[in-house]
Amino acid sequence: MNARFQLPIDDPRYPAHLRFTPEPPKVLYGIGDPSCLVPGIAVIGARNATPYGLSAAALFAGWAADAGYLVISGGAVGCDQAAHFAARDAGATTVAVLGCGADVDYPSNAVSLLADIRRTGVVVSELPWGAPPQRWAFRRRNRIIAGLSAGVLVVEASLPSGTFSTADYALDAGREVLAVPGSVFAPECAGSNRLIRQGATPVTDASEFALELERLLGRPRSEVTTEHPSPLVEGGSDIASALIANPMRPDDIARAFGLDIVAVARRLGVLESQGRIARYPDGRYGVAKVTSSDGARKRTIREDSDG
Amino acid sequence: MAFRCRVRTSTLRGVEALPVEVEVDIGPGLPGFAIVGLPDLAVQEARDRVRSAIRSSGFEFPNGRVLVNLAPAPLRKHGTGFDLPIALGILAATSQVPASAIAGSTAVGELSLDGGLRPVSGMLAHALTALAEDLVLAGPGTARLAAALPGLRWRAIERLRDALTPAQAAPAAPPSQAIPPNVADLAEVAGQELAKRTLLIAAAGGHNLLMVGPPGAGKTMLARRLPGILPELSAEERIETALVHSVAGLDDQAALGGIRPFRAPHHAASIAGLVGGGSPPKPGEVSLAHHGVLFLDELPEFGPAALQALRQPLEDGWVALVRADGRIRFPASFGLVAAANPCPCGFFGDQGRACSCTPAVRSRYIGRIGGPLLDRIDLCVRVDRVAPDEILDPPIGTDSQAARSRVNGARSFAAAAGRPPASALSGAALVSACRLSPMATNALERIARTYHLSGRGITRTLRVARTIADLEACTAVKVEHLTEAATFRGEEVLG
Repeated sequence: MNARFQLPIDDPRYPAHLRFTPEPPKVLYGIGDPSCLVPGIAVIGARNATPYGLSAAALFAGWAADAGYLVISGGAVGCDQAAHFAARDAGATTVAVLGCGADVDYPSNAVSLLADIRRTGVVVSELPWGAPPQRWAFRRRNRIIAGLSAGVLVVEASLPSGTFSTADYALDAGREVLAVPGSVFAPECAGSNRLIRQGATPVTDASEFALELERLLGRPRSEVTTEHPSPLVEGGSDIASALIANPMRPDDIARAFGLDIVAVARRLGVLESQGRIARYPDGRYGVAKVTSSDGARKRTIREDSDG
Repeated sequence: MAFRCRVRTSTLRGVEALPVEVEVDIGPGLPGFAIVGLPDLAVQEARDRVRSAIRSSGFEFPNGRVLVNLAPAPLRKHGTGFDLPIALGILAATSQVPASAIAGSTAVGELSLDGGLRPVSGMLAHALTALAEDLVLAGPGTARLAAALPGLRWRAIERLRDALTPAQAAPAAPPSQAIPPNVADLAEVAGQELAKRTLLIAAAGGHNLLMVGPPGAGKTMLARRLPGILPELSAEERIETALVHSVAGLDDQAALGGIRPFRAPHHAASIAGLVGGGSPPKPGEVSLAHHGVLFLDELPEFGPAALQALRQPLEDGWVALVRADGRIRFPASFGLVAAANPCPCGFFGDQGRACSCTPAVRSRYIGRIGGPLLDRIDLCVRVDRVAPDEILDPPIGTDSQAARSRVNGARSFAAAAGRPPASALSGAALVSACRLSPMATNALERIARTYHLSGRGITRTLRVARTIADLEACTAVKVEHLTEAATFRGEEVLG
């Protein structure tokens, strides 16, 4: 499409569900097809994401997209982009809400992703054309993400986190907050775990997620049967299973298992080259990024589209 | 009537001391003292020092026109070492010391006004030239040099009056002083087993090393322990290293005693300070680290020009300074240990403190190091802060002595196979040295695919694997060596 549009709040095409939130944007600028702006599910999370957060974002966003729901996110590095990529790769439309002008390519690594979304979905912003990215604008745009969605899924958030503001805006607008739980030891998941304690709905597998989506957004357009992908082959080594619970540094693994560092390094090398674990950018080893293979999700279009 | 005399000496150029002849001519005319033959300011000032020193030593300064020529005339003469030969020349020309006092010897030394002598920088270089020219080295502190240079004939002149005593016949080498072992020990490091393993591999294979971790993790402390586990300097290496230190005017005793240098220039160091420069050209930090360890803390903070200047020494093992009057080469064959914070705030991945950097800022920071330099770093390891309870545990790890004997074992295993340390291997020589079985070849291909290794990345992995195999005295590189080597890749740590 790539058509620019500019919707004042009284325009009939202005999404009604956004209009009735506190502080709706006076004008919604966008590129793409404005009719895509139906209620959807927002999938958001930290920029400094671990493979766990990226996998969760890709898994749940991909699943929602396969089921025919609209996936909304913020276009940011990390979890946001993982969600957009999963939706795009599922061939679904997706909405990116930016904290700069809708025609500005930011962040710079998202140039091709944003181009795809402008073509097949919508990129929106409340800022005028060409507005440069500014720190305050990203927090403000979170209320649009919340306003455009029927529910917000937080896949990974540390403490403190900008993701929290989206959750707050979601509650203000009367939207559901869902969160993916993480390891109790992982500081990267402290925020999302706290959301659950505060009453967010925990999402632990795809079928549960499907029920939530159906409750929030109605029946899916297509039936998706999901096998929950398991990152590690069972019966594997104790090191591998320890790392599912908690990413660890090689020195800590050696201490915990009473092993020689050489043995640990070699075992980690083997597990990693098999794709069962991964080294994180901070040097710890943990669960590898799970790419749900095509076989994991089977999609059948529902004939009786009565929903 | 004219009085003439010639005295031999030498002047520094780079790490060499070039022979120079001091010709003294005392003629009739108005009293005066001139020095010709491209002297620099320090040599010109010798006139006043020599005049005073001769008088205060109880000799007489000739009451005529004194002309000193430094030959060969086109060579620039630097420094204060000409004081002694000029004084000896004047004294011999006026027959105040016997001609035998200067025959067959080369003299170097700086005079003080009371007739005492001070050693000059580069005494070791002067001594090597004396040895090569088969001359007796006359000057201050020569006994010390004789201990390090077997075969050197020497004559101690600590005061100008010593020139009157006849030359010693047999140079008695004084016993070499035992150097106190002030090298830090590996056993003092609590925890950090992976980092210690990396140091061992770096020492065994001569690999360059990059440590990434938050401030206070112990990166500097670990780096300081690398010289102690490297093999002891050989006799030749001691001289080469001490020579650079001597020429730079630093203490050369540690190097002569076999201790490898550890140099840690600050990131604000100038390029001339890093790779050498100035007039006359002085060796920089890379040369002072010759046969030792160059530690660059906060690597991304070094200027791009400074990092670029490191490429030649890393590649060739020496630095060439090109000047209007020619090219000077300083040796600079060192092991590079670099350390970097993972991000500008330093705390990315730290267990205790939260990082305040965005991924973009982080990758830009680490990206400053630049590919060409990283290509020369085979080992990359993450170093984190050790938990307090681990610090208080009694140390259990290997000490430097044990580590060094393993390093020596690996190096002699490689040498027995007719190979240099693995860091010097590349291309076909590296592949044939690894003797990969079909299974190991498959493993390497899988590793390369999984980690998206470039050609250089594969080379680095193979080199490290070869060293690991050397440590275990394995002729062929096996799969487990490759998998371990792959964990030292820098690809992800460096964004």
